[in-house]
Amino acid sequence: MNPPPPFLRCRGLTKTYQKGPNRVTPLQSLDLEVAPGEFLALMGPSGSGKTTLLHCIAGIDHPSSGELWVGDSNLAALDRAQLTRWRARYCGYVFQLYHLVPILSAFENVELPLLLTKGLRRTERRERVRAALARVGLADRAHHRPAELSGGQEQRVALARAIVTDPELLVADEPTGDLDREAARQVLDLLHELARDNGKTVIMVTHDPRAAAEADRCLHLEKGRLLEANIPAEVAR
Amino acid sequence: MLPLSYAFRNLLRDPVGLLQKVLGSALVVLLVLAAASFNGGMNELLRSSGSPGNLIFLGAGSEESLERSEVPAEAEELIAAGVPGIAAGEGGPAVSGEIHYNGLLALPDGTAAQGLTRGVTPAALRVHRQVRLVEGEWPAGGEVLVGRLAHHVLGVPAEELAVGRTVLLEDEPFRVAGRLAGEGTVVESELWFPRDDLARLLQRDTLSGVVARLEDPSAMNRARADLFTKQRLDLALAVLSEADYYAELARFYGPIRGMTWLTAVLVGLGAVFGGLNLLYASIASRMQELATLQTLGFRRGVLLFSLLQESVLTQAIGLLLALGAAALLFHGLWIEFSTGTFRMALSPGAVGLGVATALLLGTVGTLPPALRCLRLPLPVALRSG
Repeated sequence: MNPPPPFLRCRGLTKTYQKGPNRVTPLQSLDLEVAPGEFLALMGPSGSGKTTLLHCIAGIDHPSSGELWVGDSNLAALDRAQLTRWRARYCGYVFQLYHLVPILSAFENVELPLLLTKGLRRTERRERVRAALARVGLADRAHHRPAELSGGQEQRVALARAIVTDPELLVADEPTGDLDREAARQVLDLLHELARDNGKTVIMVTHDPRAAAEADRCLHLEKGRLLEANIPAEVAR
Repeated sequence: MLPLSYAFRNLLRDPVGLLQKVLGSALVVLLVLAAASFNGGMNELLRSSGSPGNLIFLGAGSEESLERSEVPAEAEELIAAGVPGIAAGEGGPAVSGEIHYNGLLALPDGTAAQGLTRGVTPAALRVHRQVRLVEGEWPAGGEVLVGRLAHHVLGVPAEELAVGRTVLLEDEPFRVAGRLAGEGTVVESELWFPRDDLARLLQRDTLSGVVARLEDPSAMNRARADLFTKQRLDLALAVLSEADYYAELARFYGPIRGMTWLTAVLVGLGAVFGGLNLLYASIASRMQELATLQTLGFRRGVLLFSLLQESVLTQAIGLLLALGAAALLFHGLWIEFSTGTFRMALSPGAVGLGVATALLLGTVGTLPPALRCLRLPLPVALRSG
């Protein structure tokens, strides 16, 4: 039986940009395939290009050359407006520092991406927000503002915001980097469940080997190139 | 689309900043309202004072000012007899030889001010159709008619110039015989004396000018009047329509009106540049949030619209404040100037201009910082926090 076609495929992905007088190449001819429903962890030292790769995969940044297919879309060929529409429909993004809108309640923050879904009735929208908050265990915090939540709760709200539109791809940039161990555990469990139970493709950048050990596969990015990484069992524990 | 409540709540994020923006906007709009009310009042006064059917014959070379003009006394009869197309009124042709004089008016208590006076005969009412006696009677020798706004010239209540009171011109007392109204024209601020009294007081045997009302204000009749002045070179007359005379007077006051606009524009520009700094800082502090919303899939146009909503809401508060201040400070205020008295009013035009200014401030002030912020590449904007 043939393996399923990859959900994400990069071929010769290169990103260069000008930084002052220097030309920087964080990603160089990078090849990568991720299967649907796979939970992939990306590790690497600071400045290795992890976040740049994540931004390209999430349609936030544009590769300088190469192919980048996510599902049926070649992101390298989309312009800024097309990428914005693509993100709204296909990608949920979780930031390290949550990036919740401080003047909105948890409920309203989670509701934001649904405001972009045309034809969705208010009652259905509210139902989906409630379901997303329940999924991350924060149904009782719906009307709290971010300042009234702990870091772990904020990150779970951010996760609810990322999954509320039911995107196929979830991208998380060091989602546990600012959390204590217990809060990090809850977030990682949720990401794992979303990949395992809901078939979401999850790509997570992390510095933490224990977090990386939760993933189905871990890759190490160094000097713009990807290597398979082995997490020692004692670290994973 | 982001809900309007998002814009509302953003306003309250920084109450001090909001207050600064609102006060800045209110100041600019208030100045625009003041300039519009002032200029609108003056324009309306001068526009309504000139009737296109009336011709003014002045001394050649003095077309810009009746007060400086001199024409021979016999010109009145010669014009009545020699200019075709002059209307006939009860008691004779509609021709009024007048003396216009800007003199020192005073009350017995010592209150004094410069004011416009006119020496007239009853023929003046045949020419100035908008003028009517609203109280009292036509003045005999030693008496005077006062315009219903003339008390503003002296800065006293209307009762001080009531019928029966005394007013002094160049220290000579005159009894107020009646009050006249003139449908918003300059006449309402004037004092009308019997022409002989004024001539004697000023020791002059000439008129300032002759005003004649045409039966039909056609170009043909105006040309005939012009021809008359060219045939009677001995009288050294020039003729122009009353409407043209006041239009010229309005142009004379142009620099004053220009100054009011210039003041409003300069203060407005100062406020805009100050406001831009404030808005740059305010929007820059939310750069990461705006980038996050773009990451979620909100288009830049939607975010720009939301920022404009916030700004227009701020300007709307400023506009309301400015309208309230204008109503308290100058709506209904009487302004005297050398030609007449007008009332500053928040006319629909002035309010419309205030609204347009607020909208302009709201959009033009927000666009540069908003576009600067939204044009940044997303990865850069996301790192800005």
